[in-house]
Amino acid sequence: MPVTIESSRFGPLEVPDEAVIEFPAGLIGVGGRRFALLVRDESSPFRWLQETERAELALPVASPFEFFPDYVVEISDGEAERIGISDPDEAEVLAIVRAAPQLEDFTINLMAPILVSRGKAHQVINEAPGADLRAPLLAGLAAARSHR
Amino acid sequence: MIGDDIVVEIVEVSGATVRVGITAPRDVVIYREELWERVKKENQAAAEADPAKLDELQG
Repeated sequence: MPVTIESSRFGPLEVPDEAVIEFPAGLIGVGGRRFALLVRDESSPFRWLQETERAELALPVASPFEFFPDYVVEISDGEAERIGISDPDEAEVLAIVRAAPQLEDFTINLMAPILVSRGKAHQVINEAPGADLRAPLLAGLAAARSHR
Repeated sequence: MIGDDIVVEIVEVSGATVRVGITAPRDVVIYREELWERVKKENQAAAEADPAKLDELQG
């Protein structure tokens, strides 16, 4: 069953039910409860998380592994218990992208990724070393390309 | 124990009332608050994004 949602950026949208993810604790400091994961361009690494009941709340996200193939997520036992995911490898990982006026200044939040499992998502604190709050996206992309 | 340095203990039981004490090193608590604030600000900044800017990153 598709769900109709309002987006201040994209207008009214119909999204499949499976694209709606519940965030029991919302996004850190920002809240929100149910977000639709929007694919606007199949060839783009970027998707949008659009809150289904707050038209103005939307954030760009991407899979961090596309830019940082060696990215690791480590969470504390307490965090794992809180969210009910014992192994981060079992969850899909999304990281929030911060756009900037200049493309070279785009960054991605590797410190507080979002783990998605069974229709529920949680923004967690990644305790792995080197997980930057603002990792330069294009630097990661260049490194990822050199892996191939 | 609910964390490496965090201890929760029963301080007093009186009838139906249980008093619980939580001891945590101050630096652990402050660290988490600061982290929370930083992530919150980053989330807020990301939520201001304009789709046109991201479309430019294709190719």
